[in-house]
Amino acid sequence: MTETSLYLIQQLINGLTIGSTYALIAIGYTMVYGIIGMINFAHGEIYMIGSYVTFIVIAGLMSMGLVSLPIVLLIALIIAIITSSTYGWTVERVAYRPLRGSNRLIALISAIGMSIFLQNFVVLSQGSRDVALPPQISGGWTFGDPSVFEVSFSYMQLLIWLATFLTMAGLTLFISKSRMGRACRACSEDLGMTNLLGINTNKIISMTFVIGAALAAIAGLLLGLYYGVVNPFVGFMAGLKAFTAAVLGGIGSIPGAMLGGLILGVTEALTSAYFPSEYKDVVAFSLLVLILLFRPSGLLGKPEVEKV
Amino acid sequence: MKTLKTTLKAVALAVMGTAAMAQADTLKIGIAGPATGPVAQYGDMQKIGAMMAIEQINKAGGVNGMELEGVIYDDACDPKQAVAVANKIVNDGIQHVIGHLCSSSTEPASDIYEEEGVLMITAASTSPTITEKGHQLIFRTIGLDSLQGPFAASYIINSVKPQRMAIIHDKQQYGEGLATSVKNEVEKAGIKPVMFEGVTAGDKDFSALIAKLKKENVDFVYYGGYHPELGLILRQSKEKGFGAKFMGPEGVGNPDISKIAGEASEGLLVTLPQSFDQDPENQKLVAAFKAKGEDPTGPFVFPAYSALQVMTDSMKATGSVSPDELAEYMRGNAFDTTTGKLEFDAKGDLKQFSFVVYNWHADGSKTAVK
Repeated sequence: MTETSLYLIQQLINGLTIGSTYALIAIGYTMVYGIIGMINFAHGEIYMIGSYVTFIVIAGLMSMGLVSLPIVLLIALIIAIITSSTYGWTVERVAYRPLRGSNRLIALISAIGMSIFLQNFVVLSQGSRDVALPPQISGGWTFGDPSVFEVSFSYMQLLIWLATFLTMAGLTLFISKSRMGRACRACSEDLGMTNLLGINTNKIISMTFVIGAALAAIAGLLLGLYYGVVNPFVGFMAGLKAFTAAVLGGIGSIPGAMLGGLILGVTEALTSAYFPSEYKDVVAFSLLVLILLFRPSGLLGKPEVEKV
Repeated sequence: MKTLKTTLKAVALAVMGTAAMAQADTLKIGIAGPATGPVAQYGDMQKIGAMMAIEQINKAGGVNGMELEGVIYDDACDPKQAVAVANKIVNDGIQHVIGHLCSSSTEPASDIYEEEGVLMITAASTSPTITEKGHQLIFRTIGLDSLQGPFAASYIINSVKPQRMAIIHDKQQYGEGLATSVKNEVEKAGIKPVMFEGVTAGDKDFSALIAKLKKENVDFVYYGGYHPELGLILRQSKEKGFGAKFMGPEGVGNPDISKIAGEASEGLLVTLPQSFDQDPENQKLVAAFKAKGEDPTGPFVFPAYSALQVMTDSMKATGSVSPDELAEYMRGNAFDTTTGKLEFDAKGDLKQFSFVVYNWHADGSKTAVK
């Protein structure tokens, strides 16, 4: 293969990896929006907290002498999911539920406030510096002639792809097949009516936040391991990108979040590949504007029907 | 109208005079820099250097019968917050400031200090534009990017001799300024960089950039910016089998880069002010830092210390704390400090400042090259 095509393959691999991570975080935005029609801006912060918990648990277990990586990762994952879900649940209970009947704008401001609160809470409790973890999963495959261009695909990248794909598939099944999932869909169609029919909508909404937070914790673990660095400010940018991905794919739609994330990631990688990398955000966000101009509800979103 | 203004001024002066007399026993020194945020480490270096100087000066009897008191202000290396901090310092009646740290913060803050008659000495901001506005009260005890850039470039030209060189920067005043200066110098020597690109500060994923460097067969990268981004670039380069040599300025030279990059930080070249903590004459101070559990090896610790020495020596010599008189004295005299003999030029910059190229190690230590 020529250098040009190998280079393209490498950049696609990079882009799909970044995109998968955007997609994982984007689901949290899209699920909450789909059900109660609000944008949970504190979601990026939940992801950041998931990352921190992972780091603390891994460092703690390692210092206690536990060396088996799969066990360490499993314990870290479980604790991260429990902690993040608790935060997700609490945020909804404290900052959103009391405001549910009021204007959407008020809930939005409350979400932004929550985001700032959580960020500063972590700054004060963990310090504002980068916390680093040595690489845990290293190695990978390389292919292509080294004298032309060597494409690398690491185990970590594969893990991110697999985890994203499996989580998405599992969630789609859960939403479409299970009783809870059916209740979720009912809520998203008409919250008031669902309530009248005897379904505990508060419980469903709480569960939505918990699931979103659990996925953010998975993203926090994967990205924490992939980049090896976390600081209290990572949630903001990651949240912004994931939110963009959710809007791009059609907010409220779970396959849309996946598609939006991947498109955003690949666009960024290809822009950095063929233009000066300063322009990657410009191109990515121009794409968002273009898509919203021609398809205001996003790629896979249903056109919004005004709820009466 | 004019008489009214004069009267007001006189009243204001009188009030200020009494205020100054009332607190004549302590003299507050503002120490402004990032105490939080991604580059808070550097703020710490400046803080421990300045606080140690204040402690030592007070121990030796203070200045003109006054005891010094350091007041810490946090600008988080954010230009907007730096302006707020500068205004707060002026409102608090403080007339002597050590700081700020990031050039992009020092620049807007220095305009306020100059206008409000506050003497400012930065121990860390290296952007040349800060002292190019003709300010009278703004000084620095650290070398400029316009010295460091050419110094790094001459090392690249004479010792590294790269075949295909790339220059990456973080699009901020400090990083891009240095990167541009290095680019201009190496181009004069006939080395044409194959890439000159910016990354976004705070980004975490550099895989696309690294693939591009790899495709261009780059064998040497100069990075203008701070350690969080370069640390990740090094770490991801190693994972992706990109093995070029990297070089960076003092903004990357602190042990945190080894925490982030791990083994990938081995062999990184860093230009830093010479290690003042290795100077035999400073060993007593080094011991004093260590006794407090502080790390004296950071590049801004001793420049901050000497900034206070310059300030207090001028106070002793002039018998005054007036910023204007101190500034005038500082321009005309030489000072013996922990960072050597310092002399200021008309702009407030040091007449001489030397840098050293260091080889960085994976455990966060460094050894001088050459």
